[in-house]
Amino acid sequence: MRFIFYVLALLAGAALSFEGAIYAELGKSIGQIETSFYNFFMGAIIMGLLLIFFRKGKISYAFEAPRWTLLGGVLGVVYLTSIVVSVPFVGVGITMVAVIIGQLVMSMVIEHFGWLGSKRTGINKEKVFAVVSMVIALILIN
Amino acid sequence: MGLFMILFTLIGGITLSAQSSINGTLSQKAGTIETTFLTFLTGTMFLTIFILFFGSGNVLALFEAPKWQLSAAFLGTMYLLLTVMAVPKIGVIAANIAGIAGQLIIGVVIDHFGWFNSMVITLDVRRAFALLFMMIALYFIYRGNKRSVKESTVQQV
Repeated sequence: MRFIFYVLALLAGAALSFEGAIYAELGKSIGQIETSFYNFFMGAIIMGLLLIFFRKGKISYAFEAPRWTLLGGVLGVVYLTSIVVSVPFVGVGITMVAVIIGQLVMSMVIEHFGWLGSKRTGINKEKVFAVVSMVIALILIN
Repeated sequence: MGLFMILFTLIGGITLSAQSSINGTLSQKAGTIETTFLTFLTGTMFLTIFILFFGSGNVLALFEAPKWQLSAAFLGTMYLLLTVMAVPKIGVIAANIAGIAGQLIIGVVIDHFGWFNSMVITLDVRRAFALLFMMIALYFIYRGNKRSVKESTVQQV
């Protein structure tokens, strides 16, 4: 049965690539920043509905939390806008490879130093091999 | 221009990973749905101000845009939902790696067939090898993370 959950995770990733390709098209007609705005606006509505019906946590914690933990939205804007801008120029494949490399390498750095409240996990030989393979992939795909 | 775009997108990936660490910290006390909602809400607020001053497109054209283009907003939610379903069953690392594999494969497939009006980039030998190296990288990340987890649990004992 575990197999099904691997398929679900694969589909989750596939959804992101579809999203990138479709938003690139929307960006051409209404503008790139406007497309980002639409994504966040719709996302807030969808999550707002889910929040009303399925809430489990504590939304008021936002007013007590350390301020830097609230910066996620602004960072997400940079990510989404970079995809909408980049896809029409270089295609979905290269865009996704570049995003994933940025993401994986930065995660390693963040975890190595235990930044941003993450648990400290050191960089090891395997992770260095992984970065080398990713750079080779980026050179080949470009 | 292409190289500049790749650098820009790398920065996008960097901010995304910073976002997941920050959101991970917030969600421990605020909850998953709550954190995601706050992410979208603050993003919307920021973009509203940004568009008013620097927007060169036309937000109102949203009402004339084809509905299939607007449906992309649900794909992001679907990603979150499916990941939340998969993580408790197969673990965070496996779920992320499977997710990335799906993202890469579909990305190359969309390029190959030029779906959604995108530019057609055929899947040639170079691209196939690039995919292979990404898979090797994912395998090493899986191994590396497993070892880090093992070492950190040994230290705790």
